[in-house]
Amino acid sequence: MVRPRRPSTLEGMQTQTLENIVVTEETAAAPVVLTEVTKRYGRRRGAVAALEQVSLSFGAGSFTAVLGVSGSGKSTLLQCAAGLERPSSGAVRLCGTELSGLSQRRQAVLRRQCVGFVFQDLNLLPELTVAENIALPLRLDHRPAGRADIELAAARVGLGGGQLRRRPAELSGGQQQRVAIARALITRPEVIFADEPTGALDPHTAAGVLRLLRGAADGATVVIVTHDPQVTRFCDRAVFLYAGRVDRVLAAPEPAVVARVLHELGERGRS
Amino acid sequence: MRGWMLAGIRRAPGPLIGTVVAAATAATMSVAALSIALAHTEAPPGRLARASVVVAADTSLHVTVGHGDDAHQSLPLAVYRGVPAALAGELARVPGVARATAESGFPGGVVRAGDVDLVAVTAKPGVPAGVLAGRIRAALPGGRGYTIATGAARGDVANLNAAVERAGGQVLGVALIPPIVLISLFVLAATTALAVNLRRRRFALLRTVGATRGQVRRAIWAELAGCGLAGGLLGWLPGAALGALGVRALAAHQMLPAGSAAWQAPWLLLIAGGVSVLVTVLSGQVAARRASRTPPAQALRETAAERTWPNPVRILLGLAAAGGAGTLAALTFSQKSPAGQLALAFPLLLACMVAVALLGPLLVALAAGLARPFQAAGGPSARLALAAIAAQPRRTASAVIPVALAVAMVGCVYFVDSSITHATATQAASTVTADRVISGPSSGTGLTGGTLRQVRSLPGVRAAAGVAPVALAAVDPDLEQVDGEAVAGGPLGRVLDLGVTSGRLTELRPGQIAVSALEAAPGAMSVHVGSRLTVYLPDGTPYRAAVSAVYAHSLASGDVLIPAAVAAGHTGTAAGFTQILVRGGKPADVAALAAGRPGWHVASRAAANAASARRAAQDGFANNLILGVVAALAALALVNTLAVATLERRRTLRLLGRVGATRRQVAAVFGWQAVFVIVTGLAAGVAAGTVALLAVTRAATGSWTPYIPVGPASGLVAVVVALTAGAVMIPFGAMRRREPSLAR
Repeated sequence: MVRPRRPSTLEGMQTQTLENIVVTEETAAAPVVLTEVTKRYGRRRGAVAALEQVSLSFGAGSFTAVLGVSGSGKSTLLQCAAGLERPSSGAVRLCGTELSGLSQRRQAVLRRQCVGFVFQDLNLLPELTVAENIALPLRLDHRPAGRADIELAAARVGLGGGQLRRRPAELSGGQQQRVAIARALITRPEVIFADEPTGALDPHTAAGVLRLLRGAADGATVVIVTHDPQVTRFCDRAVFLYAGRVDRVLAAPEPAVVARVLHELGERGRS
Repeated sequence: MRGWMLAGIRRAPGPLIGTVVAAATAATMSVAALSIALAHTEAPPGRLARASVVVAADTSLHVTVGHGDDAHQSLPLAVYRGVPAALAGELARVPGVARATAESGFPGGVVRAGDVDLVAVTAKPGVPAGVLAGRIRAALPGGRGYTIATGAARGDVANLNAAVERAGGQVLGVALIPPIVLISLFVLAATTALAVNLRRRRFALLRTVGATRGQVRRAIWAELAGCGLAGGLLGWLPGAALGALGVRALAAHQMLPAGSAAWQAPWLLLIAGGVSVLVTVLSGQVAARRASRTPPAQALRETAAERTWPNPVRILLGLAAAGGAGTLAALTFSQKSPAGQLALAFPLLLACMVAVALLGPLLVALAAGLARPFQAAGGPSARLALAAIAAQPRRTASAVIPVALAVAMVGCVYFVDSSITHATATQAASTVTADRVISGPSSGTGLTGGTLRQVRSLPGVRAAAGVAPVALAAVDPDLEQVDGEAVAGGPLGRVLDLGVTSGRLTELRPGQIAVSALEAAPGAMSVHVGSRLTVYLPDGTPYRAAVSAVYAHSLASGDVLIPAAVAAGHTGTAAGFTQILVRGGKPADVAALAAGRPGWHVASRAAANAASARRAAQDGFANNLILGVVAALAALALVNTLAVATLERRRTLRLLGRVGATRRQVAAVFGWQAVFVIVTGLAAGVAAGTVALLAVTRAATGSWTPYIPVGPASGLVAVVVALTAGAVMIPFGAMRRREPSLAR
């Protein structure tokens, strides 16, 4: 089921200023909150800032696209938010837990209990069957992975029957991405992070995958990193990054508007 | 064990096959070594089978060397000391003895009148052999100085050579087993680390889906344990077979008693599996730890683009190893005694190899820099190959290292052997300066003192000397067997050129001894002309003498010369010589002396020298064995690692296909990389092996120039080139066939 959303235009858009997204008591309850997060790679003079003082919150049940030109810090933002990368400074709260004080082990446990991941690439273990790939997060969490649970998760993304016994290599790209989504959903996570989930798919299959994600997320907070304006058709909000900073935020983004903003950001980078 | 942990082994074993092969090799070598080390080497009691107890004069030589725990040293004797024949009568009176018979005529038996080799005692019915042995020990004067054997030990008394041969086999085993075990472990550790590194993408993915470090580590351990177990099972039978083969070969070369059997027990299977699992898991520790500790985001990035700079800890350890190798080299070359140099040679080779292995990525980066000016000549394929090498020095190093280690090890072992053999043959060919050499039969009516007198009395003979090899024991600085010659007649300088460095060697009289420079050096016997020295004759009788000469050419003639008169009666054979060297006299007179005596023949100096050079070159069983095992292991390591490393480059192949590279171009990229691996590996291997080779050559032959025959050297290079090219290009061909994106 796709949630209703309001259309937006660039002229009359409800552009939120940066002041609007500072963490308030209301946003503090959001499943994902980044406060003044900075991430630098390298040391001393050679250091490159991938993120600079980024503060963002992603409310419960929201569906947000993070956009920007290449090198703007999109993937770093997602990795910091998901606890895959430690910020150089600032704080990240995920599912109500401050990540900075958490051991690697506790972070891993938190990830598998409340987060689902979908990647463009590298997403399935080739030696496991589709069913085993879907059940992996439950197995890692020492939870029972019954056949019915796996079949239900697979059915939600339109997989079933003999496909469950196959290996990923025997499936098409779109089917593989469905498996990844089913795997992300099986633990009923509070948050789903998706890094270019449709990057390697044709537009038709991509739309199907996004529709699936939107419908199957079922109340979960979804954060999608993408450079494809069409993805925002399914989103409540679009966050634009430029040079590691939040440039602007669009509510109920329209693909055409998003494309113009991306173009503008691209031109800015060239000038 | 959770199913998902082992799914990789069951369904996608490709990257792990190398680990299984390496584990199987380690298991094979451990099982073979163990079944040889624990072989049943009891000699059959032969004609003493019906004796309950056997009594002989002590069959071992005991010497106290210095002070401390290991001061009491002993060595098995090959010759009976002999007991008085009357001892049989005395033993017959011991209660419980049914019969005591004096026995003689065993190999190595005494030739002194009134003595016998041993006494065989039969117990009365109901008297256990052990009890009777105790009574005999109590009845003998003091009970010491005798070997009193029952059961299986009787075989060693019936055949004294059994103990000597066993000791020889043990010496070879001690020399052979540590390097083999070390190399197997090295190969296993390298392959395991590679297998884990190649699968880091998988482990990174597990981490993103919420696997803890511990779970990733346990998953790696489970995989490695599975590989280890598979390797252990696969290595068991080949190991047992190799052990049996080894025991047979050692027995055939008198390094184990005839009839020895390898230790074959069901336990070997357990041991093979256990050793293999343990070593595989242990050698994967570092890689597993690293794979699980890397933050998942970094691991995902790293799999796409490898870090250019290797782990600083690795570089530090590599520099430490290089420093250690330098220090060891300085220490080795400053050693005054050849024995000291020889002792340091193996650690030196090992330190050089470890330094090359650890600094491999740096060497690759350096070589890539050196190759850059030449890349234009090779076209776009060479440019692409070099770019890939420079971008991933660690991955390229994992292919270069096994090539370098194989070259260093095999080259060092082979050319040390060839240098020593060459020097021995050269010395053997120039040692005899006599005009004619009379050789006698190895047994029967030999050349005796009487023959020597006859030769000396021939008209015109200016010098004549009889020589016979004799196995002595000496403290140098531990009690060991020393090969020597018993000589009579003279002047020795006219018939033998031993390269006397100090003293005089015209003839040897009782009370005198000549020692080689190698043995006289500090660290060995530590003697000089005028020193008093004790050596032990084959039956253990000590011979204390003054050193009258020190000579240099010892490779062919042995390390000690003693007067034949001293050795007579103590060698277990009739007194005599194997050769009489003659200077002067008429050829016809000498020939007439030998005429009509079966087994006697006379040869010219050139023919005699050629024959002894041939004999010197043939004595290579132990070295061939070491070389064979080392070469097999090195080749396996090389092929295994390279094949795994090549198969892992499937993505590169696919990518090149997607950007429009033709099959020929892709083959050229892989070909150039193989060329780089071969050249860098050969250079690094030659550098690492040369240091140890120089040290050993200098110590053993006194020369700085090792003898490197062109044929074997180019053969070694050709084999390395063929193996490397094959291990890269055959998996490449297999991948290429399965890659439809490549244009023809």
